[in-house]
Amino acid sequence: MKKMITAIAASVTILGLAACAGEESTGGTQVGGTQEITAWAWDPNFNIRALNLATEIFEGINPDITVNVVENAQDSIIQQLNVMMSSGTANGLPNIVLIEDYRAQVFLQAFPDMFFEMSDFIDVNEFAPYKIPMTSIDGRQYGVPFDTGATGLYVRTDILESAGLSVADVTDLDWDQLIEVGLQVKEATGLPMMTLDPSDLGIIRSMIQTTGTWYTEEDGITPFIEGNEQLKAGFEVFRRLIDEGIVLPVTDWSQFVSGFNNGDVWAVPTGNWITASIMAAEDQAGNWAVVSQPRLPGFANSVNASNLGGSSWYVLNVDGKEAAAEFLASTFGSSIELYESLLNEIGAIGTFIPALASSVMDQEVEFFGGQRIFSDFADWTQQIPQVNFGLHTYALEDILAVAMQSYLNGQDLDQVLRDAQAQANNQLN
Amino acid sequence: MDLSRSIPKALSAKKKMSKQQLAQTMVGWGFVAVAAILIAVFSFYPMIQAFYLSLHSGMGNNLQFVGIANYLRLFQDATFITAVTNTFTYLIVQVPLMIVLGLVFSVVLNRPDLKGKGFFRTAIFLPAITSLVATSTIFRYLFGQQGLVNMALLGLGIIDSPLGWLTQPTLARIAIIIVITWRWTGYNMIFYLSSLQNVDYSIYEAAKIDGANAIQQFFKITIPMLKPIILFTSITSTIGTLQLFDEVMNITGGGPGNSTLTISQYIYNLSFRWTPDFGYASAVSFAIVIMIVVLSIIQFKVTGDKK
Amino acid sequence: MKNIGKIITYLFLSIAAFVSIFPFYWMIVSSTNTSVDVTGGRMLPGTHLLQNWQTLMGQVNFGQSFMNSLQLSLATTVLSLLIASLAGYGFEIYKSRAKDLVFNILLGSMMIPFAALMIPLFRMFANLSGTFPFLGLNTKMGVILPGLATAFLIFFFRQSTKMFPKDILEAGRIDGLSELGIFFKIYLPTMKTTYAAAAIITFMGSWNSYLWPLIMIQTQDRQTLPLLIANLGSSYAPDFGIIMLAIVITTLPVALVFFLLQKHFVAGMTGSVK
Repeated sequence: MKKMITAIAASVTILGLAACAGEESTGGTQVGGTQEITAWAWDPNFNIRALNLATEIFEGINPDITVNVVENAQDSIIQQLNVMMSSGTANGLPNIVLIEDYRAQVFLQAFPDMFFEMSDFIDVNEFAPYKIPMTSIDGRQYGVPFDTGATGLYVRTDILESAGLSVADVTDLDWDQLIEVGLQVKEATGLPMMTLDPSDLGIIRSMIQTTGTWYTEEDGITPFIEGNEQLKAGFEVFRRLIDEGIVLPVTDWSQFVSGFNNGDVWAVPTGNWITASIMAAEDQAGNWAVVSQPRLPGFANSVNASNLGGSSWYVLNVDGKEAAAEFLASTFGSSIELYESLLNEIGAIGTFIPALASSVMDQEVEFFGGQRIFSDFADWTQQIPQVNFGLHTYALEDILAVAMQSYLNGQDLDQVLRDAQAQANNQLN
Repeated sequence: MDLSRSIPKALSAKKKMSKQQLAQTMVGWGFVAVAAILIAVFSFYPMIQAFYLSLHSGMGNNLQFVGIANYLRLFQDATFITAVTNTFTYLIVQVPLMIVLGLVFSVVLNRPDLKGKGFFRTAIFLPAITSLVATSTIFRYLFGQQGLVNMALLGLGIIDSPLGWLTQPTLARIAIIIVITWRWTGYNMIFYLSSLQNVDYSIYEAAKIDGANAIQQFFKITIPMLKPIILFTSITSTIGTLQLFDEVMNITGGGPGNSTLTISQYIYNLSFRWTPDFGYASAVSFAIVIMIVVLSIIQFKVTGDKK
Repeated sequence: MKNIGKIITYLFLSIAAFVSIFPFYWMIVSSTNTSVDVTGGRMLPGTHLLQNWQTLMGQVNFGQSFMNSLQLSLATTVLSLLIASLAGYGFEIYKSRAKDLVFNILLGSMMIPFAALMIPLFRMFANLSGTFPFLGLNTKMGVILPGLATAFLIFFFRQSTKMFPKDILEAGRIDGLSELGIFFKIYLPTMKTTYAAAAIITFMGSWNSYLWPLIMIQTQDRQTLPLLIANLGSSYAPDFGIIMLAIVITTLPVALVFFLLQKHFVAGMTGSVK
């Protein structure tokens, strides 16, 4: 027995070390006449499926290039990009990667050499203008804009009805009004309104953008926390949601999704990229509607439209970049056919203007009781106030998440925000 | 290589003896060389590098010399202070709790009249074989809002509504402490049990005849006998806790709002989660080294052991 | 009175054993259930083991990760035991003042937390990537190397060597064995229990290690089991049945090593903590 174990151990060890010597891989590999490129994205319901659809279309255009679609959690994509780019090694980098718009500028400015310029491959004027500043530097276009982050309030019509309410009662509200509805529904059905991750301030981000405010001044660099009345109001709404007991606390994405898929909550205020995940619960077909995002209470300039998330495709400066650029140019960069099937198959709304005129945008979606959700989102998109995300969205949000905890623990809000401002000034110089 | 054997012991003239000694010394160095070189290259050299890096700052690889600015920044960095406070909270609550539990288990399980010893020993040690990531993944679910812990507490009527184990700061810290204690108590217990095997049980018999009760025996015999190994485990546990990463990363990710963030995780965040700032991250790492050295000295002093 | 004490003792131990074992029971049971059943709190074995197994093997490259972990852990265990036992033996048998000094310096490395080393080490391997591709980032060598020599193991072997009867060494020399021959032919077989204990500790540490592989490994074909589990758990649509099955299979080899070497383990530990 023991000898056998030793023998196994020895042989596996030798095999393992022998295997070490021969291994090395970079993004693109050439096998015979065909070339394989790798693309990373994170959401199997959404952007992974979008990549797969693009791959199918591209097979008909250039069968010599195959695309290997890899799903990786967003956090681990960020970590791996940081690791590899800061080490200056191309070993293991993909050819194409999806990056959230909030983070794009950080990468583009810290590692400009690691990205492949796309100016010659796409026509910048064909994309929604608001996507361009976040995906380019100094007029050089790096990203191929992908989805819009236009938000809406997804609601369960059947649950509203059982509480004696209708879609009209949740349309075009502000957050205070929505909370009142939440209390009514809770009383009638016992169900909390929505899920809430106390560490994730995305919802506050979307609240303040309804007024055109951000965590930073307009330069995108100077932290704007202390004296930011909109942000303060956002904090107050966040706390009220918790204090009123109408949220289901969650700690990660999967709990967030299962919250509405299992019917534990009746409202989801978020970006339209969630459509596919909402539709994953087939037993709830016909019981959903989307209404406009609530306004921030107390601000006359707050509109019923905002943005949350949204991302773009980037080609990395490694072997196979030309093939990768060609793939993006002939799919996400120009194919109306692709954008139509994105809408039909996964309800994804792109930012490619020629496709927005397509008749598919006007279709009625059965799952949402025949609502024309895509054209609704397109209308809201027009109203979203512009802000400059700048460099530090997530760094500031980590600081604000701490501030939120202090505030929830009973500290004075002005003081909490003053401390956060000091911390931000110190950390970001 | 082996001159020694060609030299008969009887002829131990002083000159030859020293030649033999020299040969022996060289052979001895040969034995330790690989380990010494590896530790030098993969521990001490990087340590020096870390210090060099800590005097620099910048994004990614564009580092500039900034002197001690990074160290000054530490004192004003609320996140760093939170991470240190959290880590020390774990340390102060968890390490003593685990050591006391481990000692109690080992003493009870060392009793010769106990039945089912093997089963209990194995059962309590079992958590120590699991991977920290696996442990964290399991407990993240168990402690979830609708996880089994809440279900059980609700079922037993101890609580009326689910507790926010991972969403409420104090509870999240408690959850982390429970998980680490679950994972490591059995591991430490094995060290104590092994030591107790070397203690002659007749000492306890004698103490019993002298009228010492179980608690007196524990403090008068067990603790003094196990002192060196208690010191050893408390130092290794301290070092382990100061480097805590896997569990927090995979249970709470440091949240809610940094309330469970550890120092190691902060270093990781500074290097790989946000725009890499290797210089400042290195300054934070150096701060942990200093803390470990100071704490170890204190532990040696407190236990009054010289080795 | 005595009986009450006994009852309390057994009650205490039983609760401790229950708390220790329950998560294992739960993960094994859950590996046979669907994700919905797991999140719904089902505590009984189900019928989905085969489906979970097929998904795990088919979709997520589990077999590959398992082999990666196995190779890394076995290589680490064999090499670090050899390196540390040679050193522990060397420090004790060829004792000298200079060597004791070196020994103490090496022990000092136990105080350096890995967190403090990870950035320079990462940069070191990143720099090596260009010149020595087999040593750089995302290679097995890169994962193994920094952990090969640990002061803890050297200390462990030196402590145990103190028990080793030195007369046998002389006998070996007289029999004409070389110094290295003595080590391999006499010392090594005698110290089986010490090696067993060291092997368990090293194998477990390596099998379960997370932070360094997390930084070093970038591609899915090279990821280790802890990385795979962490990824499964943080994915957008985690399937708990599959995750639990992955955890069960990941835990098995360590359990196997432990139960096979358990007797030696306790004996080896006893020798070293004297």
